Amino acid sequence: MNQAINVEQLNSALSSLRTVRSNVSLVFETLSNGLRADHGEDGKDKFLMELQELLYIVSNNLRDLEQTVNALPIPVPFNLGNTTYLSQETTQDRQALYTQLVNSYKWTDKIHEYSSFAQTLLSQNSLKRSYINSGSTKRRGKLQSNHNVAPLQVDNVINNIDRSYNDMKITISRPFASNAVVSINLSHVLKAVVAFKGLLMEWVMVKGYGETLDLWTESRHHVFRKVTESAHAAMLHFYSPTLPELAVRSFMTWLHSYVNLFSDPCKKCGCHLHHTSLLPPAWRDFRTLEPFHDECKQ
Amino acid sequence: MKRGKATIICEVKNGSYSQYPVPENKTGTYVIELLTKRILALGASQQGQFLVDCESYLSHPQMGTTKTVHILHNSEQPASVFSILESGTKNIHVIADGLFDLLMMKLSQHYTSKKQTKIESKGPRFELGDFCVKLGSVTMNQNFKGILVEVEYRPCVMANAVWGLLREFLQGLLGPTVPVQPTQHLMSRMNEIYTPIDTIYQYLEHFSAYRKVTGMRNN
Repeated sequence: MNQAINVEQLNSALSSLRTVRSNVSLVFETLSNGLRADHGEDGKDKFLMELQELLYIVSNNLRDLEQTVNALPIPVPFNLGNTTYLSQETTQDRQALYTQLVNSYKWTDKIHEYSSFAQTLLSQNSLKRSYINSGSTKRRGKLQSNHNVAPLQVDNVINNIDRSYNDMKITISRPFASNAVVSINLSHVLKAVVAFKGLLMEWVMVKGYGETLDLWTESRHHVFRKVTESAHAAMLHFYSPTLPELAVRSFMTWLHSYVNLFSDPCKKCGCHLHHTSLLPPAWRDFRTLEPFHDECKQ
Repeated sequence: MKRGKATIICEVKNGSYSQYPVPENKTGTYVIELLTKRILALGASQQGQFLVDCESYLSHPQMGTTKTVHILHNSEQPASVFSILESGTKNIHVIADGLFDLLMMKLSQHYTSKKQTKIESKGPRFELGDFCVKLGSVTMNQNFKGILVEVEYRPCVMANAVWGLLREFLQGLLGPTVPVQPTQHLMSRMNEIYTPIDTIYQYLEHFSAYRKVTGMRNN
């Protein structure tokens, strides 16, 4: 309510400012035009009268403006975080950034709201074709954001998983503010990097043992590009925003089954290499964790 | 490709070598052509040539018990020279850069080269998915001795884990009857991380076996 009044006052202050400006420009316009034909013989006096009248109006307007401005409450400074520095930006084409920033903030806010609605709807109507039955029905209504979890809690979850495997080493780093980027060393077989947003997995990249790990470049080996593909599928399969911890744990169990990527043959055809793709079985069943070739998994 | 001394750092490499028996009354070139046709049919692309050579030096009798030093080059690591000193039961290897060859020339008073046993394996090099296949014909003093097939599976660094897969690949290429056995050196390194020197040891083992074979077939 208080805010609504503020807006009205602000509007009237702004409109009186506008009146002052337009009237002042009128004064200058009249002055620059000088004597005109319609001032007649006694032009000089009439001109001065007109000018005086205009100046009088301006001073009146100015008084109005002062009144309205004084009536405005002094605003409490907003805490804008890093965005305050945007005002100090000198490059011309970056000055418009603030509006974009506000817009994108609004968008994310909306997306967050809609996705939480969508999530509740989807968990009520089971459209999932996979056999994981989300146990969220019991916990419905408890809407909490898993995008924004304290770093300590994330560390705890991941460290717990790390401790349960001997041959899988998980290290956490935070190169981008508070979100964890987790790198996984699975025996001498593969390396993976997983980007987290809160407790939700956002991105996975799998690479070979001797390769350098980063989030975006793909492995130079075909087999690890295939495994990355499977890992993306698994990440989406295990995704469950209501039970994020379970999702992370299931994903890690699944990823751990790649420890025998090169040594175990495909469960269906019994061969190491598929005859056309010449790849080892780079797919692991989500439930049984058995190795299959991509082409044999149906 | 410049690697220099960095070759000591283990690489993503894995090799398996197989001695391919040349059928009677067929030349080595015939077999190489046959295998080339097979591997191209699998969808491989040829990526240049390769060469592995080996020269052996004997220490001068005045220095005590005679020792043998093998100097090997591999075109996969063009900036490195691999040397293996045989001393009784234990082999000692040193990986150095190209200047090592000149050093051996300086040492010619103490180590004499056995020129007539200079042996090399060279031929086409193919890439097929994650595999790298090299079909080498082995020659000693311009005399054809046999064929060595090298298969490298680059994603894996442990011989033990990938052995079954490599055998399947090799038997698919050469035929199911060809026995694929790891060399003695590789047997002892099955659970270690594979490095380029392991490739060199395997070649040396095969080369030594060829040298012992007296009967030569000229092709």
